[in-house]
Amino acid sequence: MSDTSTILDRPKRWDQPFGGDMDDATVDRLLLGSPFREMDPAEFPAHLSLREILKNDTRVVRYEDNDIVVRKGDYGNSAFLVLSGKVEVFLFDVPSSALGRRERRRKGLLRSIARLWTNPSLPEVRDRDRVRATAELADADENVHMKILVQDLPIAMDRQRTAQLSEGQLFGELAALGRIPRGATIRAVGGAELLEIRWQGLRELRARSAALRKTVDEQYRKNALGILLRDHPLFKHLTFAELEEVAREAVFETYGNFEWYGSYKQLLDAEPAQRLAAEPVIAREGDHPDGLILIRAAFARVSAVFGNGSRTISYLGVNQMYGLEELVHNQTADTPAPLQTTLRAVGYVDILRIPTSVVEKFVLSRLPREQVLKFVSYPRQLRTEVEAGRAEPAPVATSPARAREAGGPGPSATLDPGTLEFLVDNRFINGVAAMLIDTDRCTRCDDCVRACATAHDNNPRFIRHGPIYGHHMVTNACMHCADPVCMIGCPTGAIHRSAQGPVVIDDQTCIGCQTCANSCPYGNIRMVEVRDEQGEFIVDKRQLPILKATKCDLCVDESGGPSCVRACPHDALQRVDMKDTDTLAQWLKR
Amino acid sequence: MKSSTAVATHVAENTIGFFARRRLRMATVTVLSALALCWWLRARHFALRPDVVDSGVVLAVLVLLLAAYNLRKKLTFLPLGRSSTWLQAHIYMALLSVVAFAAHTHGRLPRGPIEIFLACLYLGVAGSGIVGLVITRVFPACLSTRGEEVIFERIPQFRRKLRMLAEIAVLRSVTEADKTTLSDFYTRRLSRFFSGPRNFWLHLFQSQRARRRLLAELADLDRYLNAAEGQIAAELRDLVETKDDLDYQYALQATLKGWLFVHLPLTYGLLLVAAVHVVLVHAFRGGAL
Repeated sequence: MSDTSTILDRPKRWDQPFGGDMDDATVDRLLLGSPFREMDPAEFPAHLSLREILKNDTRVVRYEDNDIVVRKGDYGNSAFLVLSGKVEVFLFDVPSSALGRRERRRKGLLRSIARLWTNPSLPEVRDRDRVRATAELADADENVHMKILVQDLPIAMDRQRTAQLSEGQLFGELAALGRIPRGATIRAVGGAELLEIRWQGLRELRARSAALRKTVDEQYRKNALGILLRDHPLFKHLTFAELEEVAREAVFETYGNFEWYGSYKQLLDAEPAQRLAAEPVIAREGDHPDGLILIRAAFARVSAVFGNGSRTISYLGVNQMYGLEELVHNQTADTPAPLQTTLRAVGYVDILRIPTSVVEKFVLSRLPREQVLKFVSYPRQLRTEVEAGRAEPAPVATSPARAREAGGPGPSATLDPGTLEFLVDNRFINGVAAMLIDTDRCTRCDDCVRACATAHDNNPRFIRHGPIYGHHMVTNACMHCADPVCMIGCPTGAIHRSAQGPVVIDDQTCIGCQTCANSCPYGNIRMVEVRDEQGEFIVDKRQLPILKATKCDLCVDESGGPSCVRACPHDALQRVDMKDTDTLAQWLKR
Repeated sequence: MKSSTAVATHVAENTIGFFARRRLRMATVTVLSALALCWWLRARHFALRPDVVDSGVVLAVLVLLLAAYNLRKKLTFLPLGRSSTWLQAHIYMALLSVVAFAAHTHGRLPRGPIEIFLACLYLGVAGSGIVGLVITRVFPACLSTRGEEVIFERIPQFRRKLRMLAEIAVLRSVTEADKTTLSDFYTRRLSRFFSGPRNFWLHLFQSQRARRRLLAELADLDRYLNAAEGQIAAELRDLVETKDDLDYQYALQATLKGWLFVHLPLTYGLLLVAAVHVVLVHAFRGGAL
């Protein structure tokens, strides 16, 4: 080794603690209070001690009266524990303007036409005063958690529609662990001291502490699971008490890496087998089905052994199920069939495992077999000969391979195997409005890019380029993902899901920290240097350019929908929800 | 049980593609419209009405509607429907306008100089439109078959890069082999090839003759090269192929973008001369109308 080599300590998990000012005295104070005093330090391994978790994965944040702690609809990666004071939960929708967001209204006809002469000729021009206000906000709070004052809330607020949380109570854990939007807006009342726990620490605490696990799970069962099951078509017919029983029996499991977007980019260049090996197996083909698996968050891949590899049969998203076909079959069959496919976590997935006995008691014994089979979320692999039209039940295939040989359906009834592999490997299945271009029809006229630019002050918000499979390109345009990892960690909540659905960035609140651009696994968020009306770059006190995050907003403020789709003369471009595989397949096979 | 119509629709949807169905529908409407137009003009003729004026009015309205598509393309921010719907209407109305034009001119070349010029402009617009339609339907699929998908504006940048790589390889051959076989060949045959877009027309007609010839000449050199030069020659072959693919992309994309620079000016000219034609017709109508 040469003398000039730089030798560093190998980076470790806690090289960058969550809060810089967590000293031993603060940790001691935390350990004396609830819920940490009830935790047994012996349950934690030496390298992940309770003390170290508190020291490195938490921080104490002081909120003044009226400060917003979390906003409904935001995605966050931390939970909060009230140390002192109180916080108030708004049980109604707080106006966006009161939360520091600019309401996006559809442009009227006159404003639309006025763009012909008002659109700036230079790229990324902004109002200097607005940018200054944001820059000051960023400067003032550069190193602390962003807080936005509730300025415009109606004074005569309806106290009946709020709830208060006090010392020792935990909130925000469902959003942090399940990567779902915050369910309510919460503000500090008269000043409050909160312990913010990042999700990595929360996950450890939940895993090691039975008490905390119980609290979190009960909270989930109480607040979210009931709603999830009640709205699910398979459980719609159950009474409230029966739903509660199903919820009680259900088991929560999490697979994969919560921060999958980091490893995803490395895996893209790997061999298919390596990519598949990196996806944790939830249920394996050939194993005995021990229950119904319901996807609670993110995505899973359904595959089956094919040759010396695995062929993707389908992908499952939120509320879709795995193993139902086998359970239906085994209820009446003399020879039970094993699982016909393998279920893997694509990146990360949260599931709910409902035991077979519960499914049999509440679903299979109540609903007709044919009706239940309609809920199978992917092409069926088992086909008994009774269904094939024979009078007598014939022996069922006891191995998945034999079932396929016996004439089970192909890999997909809608999408061809190659397309499926392409979409899952590239994680495009996350897209709710992915931009697809049929390169066999696209004349490369760039009318879509021009229309996009016109709708966004002469700045196109996508690049007509991207991975191609066959003659279909998935363009570098924001897909408005079902699991929007870009939103995690935005310190000001500038990137958020609009009321209409698309993920949008509030330009005025964006402080240019690049968190979203770095998190987007698809590279669809671009940081731009902004200029004033005279064309001069706007810089901060250190003469560094002011940055803003930009991306496709699906033309939420345009009447008529996305400009790119409307502008394409050759029907070559479409925005597609990847969950709607039928529509997708129909478009691909036009 | 499904009705027979529903079954027929289902069968049609599954056997005929979306575009074929649309083509069939639009063609039927156009043919019916053309027949209706002919029948109406003939009826006017037999009623001793000025059918030339009628066909002229129909033709003028159609030309104005056809020209309105360009306006729609510029006003992307207004909710005026999808551009693809407008294009379909544009294509089939254009076909209908050919019938109206034939009816208006009675299938003959007009006699006055302005009218001849106007007729030529119309035929130019119609002809360029048909060429445009054909290339916009044929070229996109061809683009997917050769070379990498590349944004048109970035082609010169890629071309410069390829030229630089080729020159580096050739210079290396001189230093490594101490012979100028490859560099002479580069100067004689490849320098011009790498300096700009080449074989434009051959690419448009899907011919690979020039590429094959160049690669064959390069392969012929092999017997005069040592191992190091042979490796460099292989690199050059790859670069020639990449450059040829890039030229192919350039030729097709340039044509896809460029045909509008013929179609649109002719359209503006047609509108202008048509306006003069209408004024003259009214100025000199006498008692004819």
